[in-house]
Amino acid sequence: MRPSLYIGLRFTVSRKRSLLFSLLGVIFGVAFYIVLQAQTQGFEQYFIKTILGTSGAIVVSDRYQNRYTTFDNAQGGTVMSGQQRRKYYEGITDAAEIMRVARQFPNVLACAPLVQGNITARGDFQTEIMTVQGIDLELQLRATALRDQIIAGNLNDFRVNPSGLMLGSLLADKLQLKVGDNVTLLGNGGERKAMTLSAVFRSGVNAIDERRGYVTTRVAQALLEKPSMISQIIVTLRDPDRAPAMSMHFERLFGHRARSWQEREQGNLQVFSTLRISAAITVSLIIMLAGALIFNTLTMTVLDKVREIAILRSMGYRRLDITVVFVFQGFIIATLGSILGAGFGALLTYGISQIPIKVRGVLYADRFLVAWDVHHYIYAAIIAFFAVLTASYFPARRAANLAPVDILRGSGQ
Amino acid sequence: MNHPMETDDALPLECENLERFLGQEEARVHVLRGVSLALQRGYTHAVVGPSGCGKSSLLYILGLLDRPDAGQLAIGGRPVAGLRDDELSRQRNELLGFIFQFHFLLQDFTALENIMIPMRQLGRWNEPTMRDRAAHLLDAVGLGNKLHRPSRHLSGGEQQRVAIARALANDPEVILADEPTGNLYTANSTRVFTLLTELVRRENKALLLVTHNPAIASACDWVLTMSDGQIVEQQYNPRDRESDKSDHVGE
Ligand SMILES: Nc1ncnc2c1ncn2[C@@H]1O[C@H](COP(=O)(O)OP(=O)(O)O)[C@@H](O)[C@H]1O
Ligand SMILES: [Mg+2]
Repeated sequence: MRPSLYIGLRFTVSRKRSLLFSLLGVIFGVAFYIVLQAQTQGFEQYFIKTILGTSGAIVVSDRYQNRYTTFDNAQGGTVMSGQQRRKYYEGITDAAEIMRVARQFPNVLACAPLVQGNITARGDFQTEIMTVQGIDLELQLRATALRDQIIAGNLNDFRVNPSGLMLGSLLADKLQLKVGDNVTLLGNGGERKAMTLSAVFRSGVNAIDERRGYVTTRVAQALLEKPSMISQIIVTLRDPDRAPAMSMHFERLFGHRARSWQEREQGNLQVFSTLRISAAITVSLIIMLAGALIFNTLTMTVLDKVREIAILRSMGYRRLDITVVFVFQGFIIATLGSILGAGFGALLTYGISQIPIKVRGVLYADRFLVAWDVHHYIYAAIIAFFAVLTASYFPARRAANLAPVDILRGSGQ
Repeated sequence: MNHPMETDDALPLECENLERFLGQEEARVHVLRGVSLALQRGYTHAVVGPSGCGKSSLLYILGLLDRPDAGQLAIGGRPVAGLRDDELSRQRNELLGFIFQFHFLLQDFTALENIMIPMRQLGRWNEPTMRDRAAHLLDAVGLGNKLHRPSRHLSGGEQQRVAIARALANDPEVILADEPTGNLYTANSTRVFTLLTELVRRENKALLLVTHNPAIASACDWVLTMSDGQIVEQQYNPRDRESDKSDHVGE
């Protein structure tokens, strides 16, 4: 071991008491950082998973036509950004062809077509506006997590019964309907269908669960009075992170609007990331506080040990060695604090994930949702090391720059 | 080799016309006024003089802890002017052993560990060798039974003897001592001085020792008398170096 590390270690051990507070600060800071990130990201991941499991990574919808505006470049006028103005036509023109081509992409897992529109649902007691989606059940099951979202009734009833209907859990509650009950669906044009509630699903995202219902494609087309129309194709990807690039590619390739989940859910995702950042900043303050404690303790140590520092210098220890003696004390605290804090943080995260708490509101969950992500631990450690090493550096520099002769003279020789 | 002068023949330490001012403005004091001296291998040198005449200031400069305002200083024949701080530190570690008037041990370490601290920086020996060496040195200053005593639990005199052992830890060419026996009882004072003298003669080291003790001063080969920042007298005490036991000191 380098002698300056050895001395730094011994100084640390002999000042356990005063360094304990700094250590505790680092431990708690690191642990809280990890716990808060685990929670915010837990909810975020759950939200993303639900979105992907319900509407896929990319939604291809209306056909468009570019309208090229001509610019008079010859006169040196401004060239526009290349953003073309578009005219949209509702619906997808050749859904089967688009799905065939899309499936050729290695990143594409599955495609499912659907018809969507707003209608009215009337039960025995209540009437509600709802968004109906006409689906091809088998394709839908392959492209979404619908199978896992069923909480009452079963898919087979829907499969065998052409007038079967599936409703979101909150919508079913509002309509006061149970599986097996009859429901009348009313199109805006006056079309009406008598349906039976086959199953109730819960995606976990309330905005979906309180509005959406599934019927067969044919029923939806009839209700919306758009025979043979397909409004959207849901595309699921092996790597959903590549959705933005792929959707841009699809848009050009198919001549249809294609939106990634990141684009569709931009608002919600921003809320999550804001929460995450603000939690990170708040908790970093605890770690900074630990840094301030280190600064204080080490400054006191330096004052306390000026004579020993002068002696070390007279014995041939260099300025750098003295710096290392003190920075190493911070390093020990940061290392111990990061390791213990990570352990404590993992423990807390696990404990919180076991708390049976009903989360209702934007999301539906029966437990606190946590994400296990090694990055949280790495970032926490980076922040801890940065704060503590910065805080140790200044007292260390001060110690290194003491002129030994001044101290020796001041000591009465 | 860059320094052909660096042989065993070169003087271990010599200086010429050292000048040093201390303090600022009106409080500025001319502490050293042209000090020249040369230490010789195998000899002990005493510096005597009234308090405030500049003895400590001279030792700090000779020990590379302070820089002179004018004049030259060479260690082992190599001038030290213009050397970087790191190089001065290395020379302090390898070539010089410093004993201060006040003991200055590292409080958190035992006697043995204190002696090993300069050795660790030197990096010449492995751990067991350093340990043996340190134990041996402590034994030589009469502390063989207190190796593992934390230094804060040693008496003042014991701490000073540890500090003396520590100055010898890296087998320095030059030992600089500033009133080292000042707070030792006579018996220990004699013992420590005898140890230093024997070491200097046996291993051909050079010792420069500031002292107020006339018996110790007269037992040194050379006595340099300082007054008001100058060396005013250099006296040689010839002796039969073979038969000398130097046990007449400190009676
Ligand atoms: N920082 C300082 N500023 C001004 N004068 C100083 C300072 N330090 C020491 N002196 C003066 O330098 C002179 C020499 O001091 P010193 O070398 O300690 O003498 P000695 O060791 O012989 O007693 C004394 O007169 C002392 O007052
Ligand atoms: Mg003095």
